[in-house]
Amino acid sequence: MNRFFDRDRFHEIWETLTRNRSRSLLTGFGVFWGIFMLLSMMGGGQGLKALLEHELEGFATNSGFLISGETSLPYKGFRSGRTWTLTLSDIERLRRSIPEIDVVTGNIGMWGSQATYEDREADCQGRGVRPEYARIEEPKLAYGRYINEVDIDQERKVCVLGKRVYQNLFPDGGDPCGEFVQFGNVWFQVVGVDMNNGNIGINGTADRSLTIPMSVLQKLYNKGDDVDFICMTAKPGYKIKDILARSKEILFREHFIDPDDKKAVFEVNAEELFSIMDNLFKGVNLLIWLVGFGTLLAAAIGVSNIMMVTVKERTTEIGIRRAIGATPKMILSQIMLESVLLTLAFGLLGIVFSVMVLSVAEIGVSASMEMAVGFQVSFGAAMLAVLILTVLGLLAGLAPAARAMNIKPVDAMRDE
Amino acid sequence: MLIELKGVNKTYNNGQPLHVLKGIDLQIDKGEFVSIMGASGSGKSTLLNILGILDNYDAGEYWLDGTLIRDLTETQAADYRNRMIGFIFQSYNLIGFKTAVENVELPLFYQGVPRKKRRQMAMEYLDRLGLKDWATHYPNEMSGGQKQRVAIARALITRPRIVLADEPTGALDSKTSVEIMELLQQLNREDGMTIIVVTHESGVANATNKIIHIKDGIIGAVEENLSHTSSPFGADTIMK
Repeated sequence: MNRFFDRDRFHEIWETLTRNRSRSLLTGFGVFWGIFMLLSMMGGGQGLKALLEHELEGFATNSGFLISGETSLPYKGFRSGRTWTLTLSDIERLRRSIPEIDVVTGNIGMWGSQATYEDREADCQGRGVRPEYARIEEPKLAYGRYINEVDIDQERKVCVLGKRVYQNLFPDGGDPCGEFVQFGNVWFQVVGVDMNNGNIGINGTADRSLTIPMSVLQKLYNKGDDVDFICMTAKPGYKIKDILARSKEILFREHFIDPDDKKAVFEVNAEELFSIMDNLFKGVNLLIWLVGFGTLLAAAIGVSNIMMVTVKERTTEIGIRRAIGATPKMILSQIMLESVLLTLAFGLLGIVFSVMVLSVAEIGVSASMEMAVGFQVSFGAAMLAVLILTVLGLLAGLAPAARAMNIKPVDAMRDE
Repeated sequence: MLIELKGVNKTYNNGQPLHVLKGIDLQIDKGEFVSIMGASGSGKSTLLNILGILDNYDAGEYWLDGTLIRDLTETQAADYRNRMIGFIFQSYNLIGFKTAVENVELPLFYQGVPRKKRRQMAMEYLDRLGLKDWATHYPNEMSGGQKQRVAIARALITRPRIVLADEPTGALDSKTSVEIMELLQQLNREDGMTIIVVTHESGVANATNKIIHIKDGIIGAVEENLSHTSSPFGADTIMK
């Protein structure tokens, strides 16, 4: 009897658990469902987060954007309703006057055009950028390189293809660098392919873009010095919110706009959006743990309750065992083990089932998204669940076992 | 002396204190076949519980095979019960979801005897009691006499110093009662087993070799009954 895990002991436990099959099953179902809920929700939440993160792939999270609009207040002799535009010199000005800015750059769009290569066409929009734009929307280069400083200086007609544009123009794959693609009326030489698949972007998403040097776009389409967007990121430790406010101040002064004008400029604070989402996921996670753990706890209390009834029912049997030589310790460990085994067996079933369901979800979603999305719970999380189950089982067995220990052999014999 | 009681007192304190045993002096030798007889409320069950280390006593001494049985921990008591005492109960007290052979081997399970050895010994004892064919049957498939014989096998399997029987025939008809008492006699005669039977039936007491009368918590007369003529089974129908 010194060995804790011997065959006879498990035989005994198996007998008592199977004697009341339906009761054990119903009790165990609570545990099963609890752990299943906990793990599935954890995996599901994680998968959703991965999906969303995929949407934002490569996008700088500490970034802010400014777009010029119409003024809504008259100022210094200018009427309201005046349109104004951001220019390259605005960008220079911001870079010089706000040292907290890490990157500040522009983005010009050229909408409603088509790219053609041989007999194939692809809908896309042109984006004129500078090399440092790579730090706002990080390209995932499959082939070649991004726009560089020399392209800007020499006004080279080169382009980087977005994922969809590349797939449409070059359906057979392969390295397209060196080939010429017609965009509008102009031929551009392909220098790179950007496989970024994110669903958030400035002037259209990266996958439907044809990225060309900003200076070329400005020249070709008579844009002069204008840019559509000013994009900036903050140095570590600084808030983009403050930088945007200061940028607006500078721009308003420069373009003679009333400092109180709310509509003259449209701003996007990506940092704030990202942090809202982050908090949302933290909240969802907390909820998952609360609900999942609550269900599990309720199930453990159910187990404890049933064990209590079982012990009461078995008073005579336990009394007999005590009379013929079972020590209180043996009775204690028997009840505790029954509780742990019941909890653990059904809990493991729940783990297996939730892993199965998550696998199906993972395979399904990954297939439809054409990318790997991690729905599966980690091995560590599963092991943690097993540990929690064991502890809950032990706790659940505590009260019934204490009650069983207090049964005296004499009590049993009186209770006839 | 195998069993020696000196001035054993026992009081139950459930609300009104109840002085059940008022100084019991008793000596039982190895190989004796004794009955303790008394009316209900005489304290005979309490005495049996003390003899069987199922209950403790307040004052006096109880020596079992040279060991003073007093202030034992639950674990020690369980060990002594397991090794020294075999119990036979009125209501058999077999475990319903275990087969006959599993019931018989249970005390050995608590001794940590290996599975095979246990099973083999249990089968031997069942065989001796003529129940070999019933080994895999459950208690509710057996008659009262058969159940009691399974219980006797369970009591004997640890080769105890004493066998304590509490109204062993209480739930049996008179024919089976005679059989069970004959079986106990045979065990006493052939194996030299010390057997103590607690009963209020004179017929049962008559089957034993010595009758100890207990009344109001004190030992009354002690009758030698080797001739078994005290009061035969069923002779006196009112007292049985």
